[in-house]
Amino acid sequence: MIFEIIINHIPYLLGGLWVAIQLLACVLVIGFVFGLLLALAEVYGHWSLRWSGIAFERVFRGIPELVLILMCFYGVGNWFPIDPFPAAVLALGLRSTAYQSQIFRGVIQAVPTGQVAAARAIGMSGVQAVCHVVLPQALRQVPGPWSNEFSSELKATSLAYVIGVVELTRQGKYIISSTQGNILIVFAVVALLYFVVNWLGNRVIYRAERALEIPGLERGEGD
Amino acid sequence: MTFRHLAIALVAGHASIGSASAQETYVAGVEASFPPWAYVEEGEFKGIAIDAMRAIAEDQNLDVEFRDMPWPSLIPALAQGRIDLLVTGLNVTPERAEVLDFSIPWWENDDEILVAADSGKNMIDVLCCGATIGAQGGATQYAWIEENLVNREGVDVTLRGYEDYVVAVEDMLTGRTDAVVTSTDTAEEFISNGRPVRIVGTIQQNQPQALAVQKGDPRELLASLNRGIVNIYESGAWEEIVHTYSPQASIRQIPTAMPDFVDSYEEPIPGYSD
Repeated sequence: MIFEIIINHIPYLLGGLWVAIQLLACVLVIGFVFGLLLALAEVYGHWSLRWSGIAFERVFRGIPELVLILMCFYGVGNWFPIDPFPAAVLALGLRSTAYQSQIFRGVIQAVPTGQVAAARAIGMSGVQAVCHVVLPQALRQVPGPWSNEFSSELKATSLAYVIGVVELTRQGKYIISSTQGNILIVFAVVALLYFVVNWLGNRVIYRAERALEIPGLERGEGD
Repeated sequence: MTFRHLAIALVAGHASIGSASAQETYVAGVEASFPPWAYVEEGEFKGIAIDAMRAIAEDQNLDVEFRDMPWPSLIPALAQGRIDLLVTGLNVTPERAEVLDFSIPWWENDDEILVAADSGKNMIDVLCCGATIGAQGGATQYAWIEENLVNREGVDVTLRGYEDYVVAVEDMLTGRTDAVVTSTDTAEEFISNGRPVRIVGTIQQNQPQALAVQKGDPRELLASLNRGIVNIYESGAWEEIVHTYSPQASIRQIPTAMPDFVDSYEEPIPGYSD
């Protein structure tokens, strides 16, 4: 009987999954853009930029996601009203910015400093050296560590239900409460949906990683 | 599994009801995991409180949109004005009356003591002497057990709080608690859904339930709500709605007893006294 109910609810579970994926996409884009800016500020910026970047990153890596979500919805909402979805995007976006900045800082610093010196020696400006020499090499190293961020943010979207974002976990809870039970089977289906998205997403990222490999620095398969 | 269904699922939680016009839309907070009062089935809000609110909205020409939030978030969200009204099986209590204003009460509830169907224990065994009791955190039942059992010398019970009653009952069925105390409606809902639980006792509370708005009623909703409640009661729509979800429930006279600790029950009551 519960299987029949679950089958009837599949469109709603998929609807919830779609909300989760939208949330994930917003969060990862925010994290990518601001994380990259933050990393550049931390590596090349004036000391004041560097220190504020580090402070931002320490703060937002040090606060649990759930607390951030509640702070954004209720705390920020005190001054100007913010809907549940944008509040969740803001909270998880800040967190993702902090984490992604560390991914970008790592890959930027992995480019030998001698290359920047060499670029300057042939007449490039500092900005040119970063844009034409450092970033093209650094960004191609991102997919590996970035797959972790993708997975952890996907899972973090499930927390958004606490402020009223009706995503996959909440849709699962609807089935549980309207049937007054079946917790294990319903959440097993929910878990499977998260797993499939995670697995597919990671496959895409690994494929990108291989496509972007820097010749001569491949991850050496089978040797 | 059509695209239309998917579209409905996407907007669940933002479904708008009432007359379609340029007038202001009020956001009604619900906790959609509380059958028979409010829940979601196949993407649609259902339940006594939901259908009654739809009937009131139609009667009073209000635009109301439901927003689902977990129970612990609802009262803070209303107190902060993030939602305009609260539509669920909400008990009228002195603590809540401090932070929100209640409509005239439309229901009265008692609390039931649930045990696992195969439990040999009686109501004394499960409310005393080393027993562990489950209840929803922040619910009136939780407060009652705390005040009358936990804080009382010599009773010796442990109280566990849960996010909702489904998990509280689930935990009891795995044997981690001896009993769950919940409202009559919820208890009957578990039994009619075939959960292996039984009622071993009733705590007579005559607990009134009502809708709620922000303290001081800044959106001036109370008068419409009260008028709407009386109208749907008198037209018979209320009885029909209640019996759709709880066929055996006996209809109380509206308004039920109005506790004098509630400011919004002081004469003149907006929309009711006039």
